Amino acid sequence: MTLDRVVWSMLQEALGVYRDSPRATAWLRSHAERYTEPVRIAVAGRSRIGKSTVVNALVGDEFTPQNSFVWYRGGTEQRAHVFNGPGRPHEVGIGRRGSRNHVETGQFDRSDRIVVDWPARTLRDVVLIDTPSEATPEQVLGDADALLYLMRHVQDEDLKFLQSANDHPIARTAAVHTVAVLARADEIGAGRIDALSSAKQIARRYRRDPAVQPLCQNVVSVAGLLAVAAKTLREDEFAALRVLSSLGREELEDHLLSADRFAGEQFPLTMEPAVRQALLERFGIFGVRLITALIRQGFDSQVKLTGQLVQRSGLGELRDSIAVHFVERREVLKARSALLALDVLFRMEPRQNARKLMADLERVVASAHDFRELRLVAALQSGRTKLPAELQTEALRLVGAEGVAPLARLGFEYEADARELREALLDALVRWQALAADVHATHAHRKAAQIVVRTCEGLLPQFS
Amino acid sequence: MAPPWLDVLDETIGACVTHRRPDLEARLREKRAQQLDPKLRVLVVGESKQGKSQLVNALLNAPVCAVGDDITTTVPTFVQHADTPSAALVRNSSVGGSIFHTPTERIAVPIDQVTKQAAAQHVVRAEIGIPRALLDSGLVLIDTPGVGDTRSAHTASTFAALMQADAVLLVSDATGELTSAEMTLLKKVMEACPNVTVVVTKIDLVPSWRHVVERNRALLARAGIRAKLIPVSSALRLRAAKTGDQRLNAESGFPELVTCVQSDIVASAELLARRAVAVVASSAITQLVTPLREELTAHDSSRTVATISTLQEAQRRVDELRRRSARWQNVLNDEMADLISDVEYDLRDRTRKILREVDKTYDEADPAIGWDKFEQWLEDNLNEAATTNFAWLMERAEWVAAKVARNFPVYREDLIPGSVLPDDLLEPASKLEKPKIEPFSVPQKLFTGLRGSYGGVLMFGLVTSLAGMPLINVISLGAGALFGGKSILDESDQRLKRRQAAAKAAAQRHVDDFFMKFSKDVRDSGRHIQRSLRNHFSTLAEELQETLLESARSAKRAVQDDQTERERRMREGRKELDKLVLLYKRVQALGGPAMELTA
Repeated sequence: MTLDRVVWSMLQEALGVYRDSPRATAWLRSHAERYTEPVRIAVAGRSRIGKSTVVNALVGDEFTPQNSFVWYRGGTEQRAHVFNGPGRPHEVGIGRRGSRNHVETGQFDRSDRIVVDWPARTLRDVVLIDTPSEATPEQVLGDADALLYLMRHVQDEDLKFLQSANDHPIARTAAVHTVAVLARADEIGAGRIDALSSAKQIARRYRRDPAVQPLCQNVVSVAGLLAVAAKTLREDEFAALRVLSSLGREELEDHLLSADRFAGEQFPLTMEPAVRQALLERFGIFGVRLITALIRQGFDSQVKLTGQLVQRSGLGELRDSIAVHFVERREVLKARSALLALDVLFRMEPRQNARKLMADLERVVASAHDFRELRLVAALQSGRTKLPAELQTEALRLVGAEGVAPLARLGFEYEADARELREALLDALVRWQALAADVHATHAHRKAAQIVVRTCEGLLPQFS
Repeated sequence: MAPPWLDVLDETIGACVTHRRPDLEARLREKRAQQLDPKLRVLVVGESKQGKSQLVNALLNAPVCAVGDDITTTVPTFVQHADTPSAALVRNSSVGGSIFHTPTERIAVPIDQVTKQAAAQHVVRAEIGIPRALLDSGLVLIDTPGVGDTRSAHTASTFAALMQADAVLLVSDATGELTSAEMTLLKKVMEACPNVTVVVTKIDLVPSWRHVVERNRALLARAGIRAKLIPVSSALRLRAAKTGDQRLNAESGFPELVTCVQSDIVASAELLARRAVAVVASSAITQLVTPLREELTAHDSSRTVATISTLQEAQRRVDELRRRSARWQNVLNDEMADLISDVEYDLRDRTRKILREVDKTYDEADPAIGWDKFEQWLEDNLNEAATTNFAWLMERAEWVAAKVARNFPVYREDLIPGSVLPDDLLEPASKLEKPKIEPFSVPQKLFTGLRGSYGGVLMFGLVTSLAGMPLINVISLGAGALFGGKSILDESDQRLKRRQAAAKAAAQRHVDDFFMKFSKDVRDSGRHIQRSLRNHFSTLAEELQETLLESARSAKRAVQDDQTERERRMREGRKELDKLVLLYKRVQALGGPAMELTA
């Protein structure tokens, strides 16, 4: 039986055991409901790090920031609800403020959470949760299955947050739910035109940093403003930017030296200061520099430019990361959340007749193959288990560190046919079986090889 | 002429010595040495990636500190004046030593190699000399690694450098207002060095930097921190230097910062020194005053009560001791009397058993055969009886000691004496005398036989002579032989009886001797034990009594003396306190922050 089926039946069984306790039933029902939903991803980080900006970029629309938890769910029409206390949610309107959407929460001075239903492609697979910066790790992770953690440079405070996010026995055995984001990548490079590539390099360094690596699955860099710009660039803005780029490079550079100069009175072009100010606010000085440079380089249509911006801002990489680490692992993440919820329940209301379930929980956490794969990934990446270099790469790929689809596991970069896949799989299986039985290898090696073999065996039925 | 702050500082150091606070003294001495040094150290601190190194570069218009997108500065970099550009790395020569007080070595390196090599192990700091007018007056700019970086060694070296700073530039970029971590850092910095200027960098990048500066001002005001706030842009300044564009330079905000450094920091070095001294000295004095004041308050109230209660307690314990010493003596006497009678009875019982055994044996056996064995057996049995009996005595004696100890007024570790065994014990009793054993030799047997046969021969000879037989005939001879044999048998039987009686008597005598001797020994031992226990316990009791009496006497004295003594000490304490408060006022006059301190 697969992990998600096992955990689902455990949830149902727990509902039976605890049917006389209204609190436990409500808790279990909410988790059973959540089990079938898309992955919930919380976006967290210190204040003014750009949480809302990243959420906007991912949703593809701009919203005014709110000072509470805001959930963005996929939906057929635009709706918003305010949840406040135990009562029923209140539906509120969504208006426009400038170029941004604004959820009209004026009548509520405080709210537990605001849920926005929004038709967007990204939201088909995920639910995004924008968190206030003062929220504790427990609050942030209470409702979320996965975490996007935003930071500039990795500082002690950030590590503390991530550590406390992993500070639970079950969370530790399945530390699969975090992707760290170097937000404001444009500012990392002090606004230079090559800032984004150096931000990418820094992200790569953190990926290998032993202090950061065990705490998250991946580190990516994102220039939030640019990413939003890529998704929401308007006709008039594009026109204004084209006009700007028609100016001589030297001359424009001079006026792009500082934000003050750009928005100042002495500008060689007849362009309203208000328009320039608006451009600055939307894209930042770095955004204006990069976009004008790109237009000059020949990305002079809006479509071309948007493509470039998505790629350069790191939004593409972030989306890929979400897809590989969260959406593809939805079942594991959901199972993990449900197991955590069951654990909480067993701690809060221990019962004699829940003994069997508690034992089941322990067994699943200790033995589910998905978790074993993830533990192996963590062990290999953190260097606890060391394999020879080429084996290490292959092992990581096979157990799904680069994606859990068979193609990704077998390392095909093109759509291979079933026969080819089967051959590659059998080849890998035989080699790893030999390694698992190798008497000269260390215990750790054989253990790792056994897990890889089990993975390969699990894949086999799909191709026969 | 020595500057006025020097006197005050020296006096404060003196006060620290008087009050035996070597830690404070060391800290003040460090500050003193540093203040007498003509160099002015300006520390540039802040979280990582705020533009600290770039700020130093822009201030000097020279790329002296490495800047980069990732974490670049790993050790504090000291930039000071030199006629020709030069650079050196200072390294811990002892591997694995701490940052402080370890021998270091300077290695000259090419100026463009400094940062590359600074990343090496054990480098404590980098020193760069550069000809600049700004540095001419002895100004040293110290670029530090970012605070809050994950590699904590960096942060530690920043705080180490902070101790030597005369002024601090706290760097925070304009992309966000001061975070709570930065405010904590700022407060920490203020404690060590009050001359802080907050520099907001990267204003070229942020359109709304004015808003951020306003927010920062408000934050500082709310936290009660009086620090200047200067917004700058290093990028603009460096570009202005390249193109020689004065207007751009003005836009960068650096002229204001340079003026601030020159006028506020360099020109007012004297004032800075005074202010820094004031802060350090006043914190030291506050630390001195607190315990002193506590002592004074304690004198007033709780002390008298405490002494009186000590006295009462001491008296109570003396009474208690007297009452209980009678008890333990009674216990000792009674227990020892019981002990001796019990032990004696036990001994008698054991010897009687042995004697009965002897009787039983010699009712049957012949002492002539195997006397040696018997002797051995008797000796062993008596020894065993004695040993068991004596062991019991010792056991009982220890038990008695423990019981007496229980009845002793106080408990102490050495209450039970180590050994109650008297030294001269158990001389061996007299040897067992061998009883006189009459051997029944062949001539005796012959004689006895003849004597017996004589009657037989005569008796039957006479009878048979009536029948006309000669007196000596076959019958009379046969009868004579019979009679002779019987008398030999009778005789030997009697002799055996005599021997047995003699053996029994000998054994009886020996056992009696043994009993006499040993019971005497046991009694002696018992008395000896009793005496030694009594001595032991009475010595203890005397000691204890003496101690208690002494403490009672001293408590009594204390109560009497307390009044006068306390007044004297109070007077002294007050005088000290007044002196410190006066010193504190003088320190305050130097220009330190206003703090409340009254006597």
